[in-house]
Amino acid sequence: MSKKVGVLRFLGTNCDADVYQAIKDLGHTPEYLWWSDRFDWKSYSALVLPGGFSYGDYLRAGALAAQAPAMDDVKQAAKSGVPILGICNGFQILCEAGLLSGALTKNISRQFQDEWVEVELVGSDGPWTQVGQKSFRLPIAHSMGRYFAPKDTLKALEDDGLIWLKYKRNPNGSLHDISGILNKNRNVAALMPHPERAIHSWMGSSDGRSLLQSGLGGAL
Amino acid sequence: MTLDQKLKHYRLSQSEYEKMKLALGHEPSQIEWALFSALWSEHCSYKSSKVHLRGLFTKHPRVVQGPGENAGVIDLGQGERVAFKMESHNHPSFIEPTQGAATGVGGILRDVFTMGARPIASMDYLCFGDPKDSETPRLLAGVVKGVGGYGNCVGVPTVNGQTTFHKTYNKNNLVNAFSLGLFRPGEEVFYGRASGVGNLIVYAGARTGRDGVHGAAMASESFGSNLEAKKPNVQIGDPFYEKLLIEACLEVMNENLIVGIQDMGAAGLTSSTFEMAARAGTGLRMDLSKVPLREPDISPEEILLSESQERMVMIVEPKNLNRVVDVFKRWDLDCAVIGEITSGDHVELVWKNQVIARVSHKPLVNQAPVYERPFDLPSQPKKTEITTPESNELGSVLLKVLKSPEMRSREWIFKQYDQRVGAKTMSACESDVALLRLPDSGRVLGMNTGCRVSVMQWHPYLGGADAVIFPVIQQATRGVKALALTDCLNFGNPEKPQVMGEFVSALKGLNEAATQLEVPIISGNVSLYNETQGKSIVGTPATGIVGLREPLLGPSHEFTESALEIFILKTKPEMYLMGEFNRIVHDREPQGDFTEIHFESVKSIQKFCLENFQHFECAKAIGRGGLAVTLARMCLSVGAEIVSLDGPRNPQVSLFAERFYSVVLGVKKAKAERLKQAIEKERHLELVPIGKTQEALELKILNLIKVNLNDVKTAYSENLGGLVENLA
Repeated sequence: MSKKVGVLRFLGTNCDADVYQAIKDLGHTPEYLWWSDRFDWKSYSALVLPGGFSYGDYLRAGALAAQAPAMDDVKQAAKSGVPILGICNGFQILCEAGLLSGALTKNISRQFQDEWVEVELVGSDGPWTQVGQKSFRLPIAHSMGRYFAPKDTLKALEDDGLIWLKYKRNPNGSLHDISGILNKNRNVAALMPHPERAIHSWMGSSDGRSLLQSGLGGAL
Repeated sequence: MTLDQKLKHYRLSQSEYEKMKLALGHEPSQIEWALFSALWSEHCSYKSSKVHLRGLFTKHPRVVQGPGENAGVIDLGQGERVAFKMESHNHPSFIEPTQGAATGVGGILRDVFTMGARPIASMDYLCFGDPKDSETPRLLAGVVKGVGGYGNCVGVPTVNGQTTFHKTYNKNNLVNAFSLGLFRPGEEVFYGRASGVGNLIVYAGARTGRDGVHGAAMASESFGSNLEAKKPNVQIGDPFYEKLLIEACLEVMNENLIVGIQDMGAAGLTSSTFEMAARAGTGLRMDLSKVPLREPDISPEEILLSESQERMVMIVEPKNLNRVVDVFKRWDLDCAVIGEITSGDHVELVWKNQVIARVSHKPLVNQAPVYERPFDLPSQPKKTEITTPESNELGSVLLKVLKSPEMRSREWIFKQYDQRVGAKTMSACESDVALLRLPDSGRVLGMNTGCRVSVMQWHPYLGGADAVIFPVIQQATRGVKALALTDCLNFGNPEKPQVMGEFVSALKGLNEAATQLEVPIISGNVSLYNETQGKSIVGTPATGIVGLREPLLGPSHEFTESALEIFILKTKPEMYLMGEFNRIVHDREPQGDFTEIHFESVKSIQKFCLENFQHFECAKAIGRGGLAVTLARMCLSVGAEIVSLDGPRNPQVSLFAERFYSVVLGVKKAKAERLKQAIEKERHLELVPIGKTQEALELKILNLIKVNLNDVKTAYSENLGGLVENLA
């Protein structure tokens, strides 16, 4: 039997049920993981940190969730190569936890933005890039989605091929049009758009399927 | 305080004071003054509207719960049920737009999940004053931020709604929030009833502060000029707390750990507990010193009347208490036993070991005053001749209308709303009907809002009826059968007979349409005293309508391909009103021949759409701004050539008048024949071919209008945010 996919829940996470359902629709076995409980990361083929407003975005988006006890096991899993995906607020949490570089700052519109965007696959290595598709139509819904990092970090990301996805038309002022990045080992990936809201054509797009599917099966 | 000062402070009349004294049998104490002030306020008691609400069409086999509970519930079949309601938060949103609108959303969400249903969709019905009025930008920016900020954080998508700008709402904006919750198969409905003597009253959620004390009474009077002084009456919301509360409450309900539940809304702890006791016919004993407080020196009167947000009252059997506390603790929420249910009908309030009040809930709730306020019904609608200056520039007139703040795209608003969280959304704010896929049956839930101010201005009865008919037809064009509605009746000062007459007439129209179209009214809210400095708004009976489509797929709301045949499907007789055109182009009052509703033809057009929608590629009801605006909005990516108009009228009227009622259809050639056959059986309908969609990216209407689609798009998508740009 294939291993389970862990779905992290923090107080204020609100895309957990959507991610859970999407994982199920893609033929995997999701299981919720609670923020205050430690877990045995070895029994999961992959981990997903869904979007939402963990802790109401108080302090900074993702800052409080990054301190949750379950994050200790997420960090262990990251170190050991387990594929980990952060979506939207999950991206912010992974940055705050130091598992990804850079930070997500306020959109230049200074507003929440809900819209459809086109993103392009840029990265080519690691479990989250085995997609068989180059371009994706996905919805975004965030007010803190503008990727920011110091110049040398951005250069390193570009040089090392750690930029995962780029916006074709930049919606929020993200530096280098970044909509998703990878860690050095390429097992940790995160993006601002919501692939779980684009897995059936009735949703307006099914481009999120292959993105999600790529890493869920486990390490390469 | 003298008696006069007390009457003013507690917003009660001399006769209400007499009635209160008679019910109590003694001179009221300070606490009793406070209780009566809250529960006898217009907001809690519906004292001016109750007699008119009694005869409404509320019963139908699909109605599980009608008005009187926190929200209405209908049965969709296949084990699926939905709860929904719409509520106003007009007064707070004018004083403090962001918090006022946010707590409006929070309150209606609580009304829904209190029933045991998980909220899956919200809509908003917003009315602002003239775009040029100095207050409009601040209110627009603030309200939208409040609605979005709250809904986005709790994770409930805002999927549809409408926004009106009209001078009647100057300094009296409307914020009506709708929310819908889903019961999946096997999930139970919960009620706000304090049943079972000996059961515990459990307070859960946020701590009580001083915010919103006397909010219900404030919402029950008109505005003068002293707004700053009312700011402390406005509540502050915390959507993060609400999210935790949703999860904790649904968890204790799913595990069947509670007997009854109610949110603390208007008049807070007072109205929630008294109403629960009144519904169950029980008594209560409550110790106010056990209520979790945000600050230590809050008086018992303030505790009773605080409208602090994100608070619930639950009735719990003693054996389940520990498990309930555990669930709330897991969600990091406060939970405290504050009393118990007793026999009889008295509510006993304790403060620091002393009984400070002991009153029956009967005079406060079920025997609250009911007024038959005098009303002057509006005169019968009169046919007026539509006169309009000749114009050779109809193309630029069309662009001007599309670009006007009244008509242009609401994208700037709905981009600030998360429309897809929950992963059920098929179609949201960009369309005139929101569509959500139900996760268990795979069927499609449709919803939208109704009420057009120009029709209300024309005649309240017709406007009230139109608030039901138009959204029902919009749903039908997408294959959605309307099943039930909620309403939010926003009117002026009920003490004025002409305003009361407008209310009575509009409600009659609304109810007649609901009855004829078999769309029962399952919940609602009345907001009176929408009056500022002596000026009442045009009555606005907003509706939220919910329907169902069996197949997953249906027609689009815009033209999808070229070479489609374009038809107008119209009722016989079809009536016209130059509403928006007169206002936008000529700054004039509406004119028209819309004087009655021909319900047979309205029912026919709905039925025809529902029976034939599989043959439509696209369909859109002709709405504000008439045929020309409707065609332009269908032409966002495909052009159209109109070769004939559907009647002998003045082309400006044919093109720009609102119609009662017609639909534009785009049909594939192969399917057109079947529609033509189907229409032959219809006595009250006509199907008129008017043109074709085309590859050329332009909208051409005879030799009257020829506009490039890029220009249409530019005009229509003129940024609404431009109105607020000058704000800091």
